[in-house]
Amino acid sequence: MVSKRRPVTYTTDAVVVRTSNLGEADRIITLVTPIHGLIRGVAKAARKPSSKLGGHLDLLKYVSVSVRETRTLHGLSQASTIDGFRGLRDDLERFSRAAYISEMAERFSVENGANQPLFRLLIDVLGALEKTDNPEMVIHFFEMRLLQLNGFAPELSRCVETGVELEPADHLYSADRGGLVSNETRPVGEVALLPASLNTIKLLRFLARTDSANADRMKAGEDENRQLSRILRAQIHHVLDRGLRSEAFMDEVRTRPSHAQASSSPESSSASSPGE
Amino acid sequence: MAPSELTPSAAPPVARLIEAFHRLPGIGPKSAQRLTYHLIRMPQEEAEELASAILSVKERVVLCDTCANLAESAECTICGDLQRDQTQICIVEEPLDVVAIERARVYSGLYHVLHGVISPVNGIGPNDLKLRELLERLRDGTVKEVIVATNPNLEGEATAMYIQQLISPLGVAITRLARGLPSGSDIEYADDSTLAHALESRTEIAGRQDAGTE
Repeated sequence: MVSKRRPVTYTTDAVVVRTSNLGEADRIITLVTPIHGLIRGVAKAARKPSSKLGGHLDLLKYVSVSVRETRTLHGLSQASTIDGFRGLRDDLERFSRAAYISEMAERFSVENGANQPLFRLLIDVLGALEKTDNPEMVIHFFEMRLLQLNGFAPELSRCVETGVELEPADHLYSADRGGLVSNETRPVGEVALLPASLNTIKLLRFLARTDSANADRMKAGEDENRQLSRILRAQIHHVLDRGLRSEAFMDEVRTRPSHAQASSSPESSSASSPGE
Repeated sequence: MAPSELTPSAAPPVARLIEAFHRLPGIGPKSAQRLTYHLIRMPQEEAEELASAILSVKERVVLCDTCANLAESAECTICGDLQRDQTQICIVEEPLDVVAIERARVYSGLYHVLHGVISPVNGIGPNDLKLRELLERLRDGTVKEVIVATNPNLEGEATAMYIQQLISPLGVAITRLARGLPSGSDIEYADDSTLAHALESRTEIAGRQDAGTE
């Protein structure tokens, strides 16, 4: 005999990482939660101006929401905002970086996969990004901590090819091998190697053991920032087996002047991704 | 589940129509079946009228060369109406937003339809919107005010900020639709952004102004 399971309803904290329209006035909301992992649910009539849900279940809002589980899309109700991260909403550059962070959090989350450390990290970094004057380093901190939390911490003290402890010098980084390669070693086979100066290596080690507040205070030069960005992104691409959609917009906003020239077109202001 | 799997005994033309309906946004397999069986029972001339309306939309509707709204020719009825205020352009996300604003009967300027909104997580960037066409329209100096009427959610706000940065060097006044509490809503349920915007954009009520409180 097939027993009818009663629908489970619970209230959870969540961050809205994706929204899309459904039907006449509904909205599909994707949430990252601490206990239930990634949740996709329907907010009924959320697009109507009089909706009690729409304002709370907007992108990048930290909310408390009631979830009624169903076999497919869950039902969402009784949402209330815990933190709207207003600083991320009034600034295009901060928004572009927050979108990158939320996309990463979504990609590293799975349905029914509890991940409290990832959730806390997401809240912590969105809060830091709201106020920081050093967003590059906050992003690098998030990238590094995300890799660590998911079991992909880069090897930063020994050569991943030979296992020999690295001398304090410039070396190389291999995303395929997951760590630093001594400058005296040539890996077997075709392996993409990225430059990692001594300062960049120090910063990677610092990021591996610090918190968001200390990362926020650490300044890096342009070259080091570029190398950090290439190394950490290459590692994330390798783990996810693909790039992130929000990278292109973040890079464009970061590299374009704050006020575009009147003669410029949207095309002319696009920038290339640092790539791998 | 594919509709044909739900209706394995349906005749091939019926199954084909169910599948065609199922591909439309917001139509599930059950609704697709209901619509199909409704059409089967419909009088012949009504069905032909529906089929002809669908065909003519595909054959005759194009995007207006100027504002990218839906039109029957290279110029839509709004752009072709010289009675309208040529110095104002209202930027909206989708053609349906033009219909909504026109319904309010308070705006008599022109429009520009972006056909989307900046959405980094969906890979939609500024180059995917009709922004180059907007810059072209602003170049001759006729337009004095651009009203950004993108939706008041995060992606709409980001698009508004991008547009503001893009066109501010042109010296055109840029305004944004007011944001705050909708009519008929409860403050108790309002989110923090809505309340903050409502407080920031608060206006002095007429009675106190008349009393000379300034």
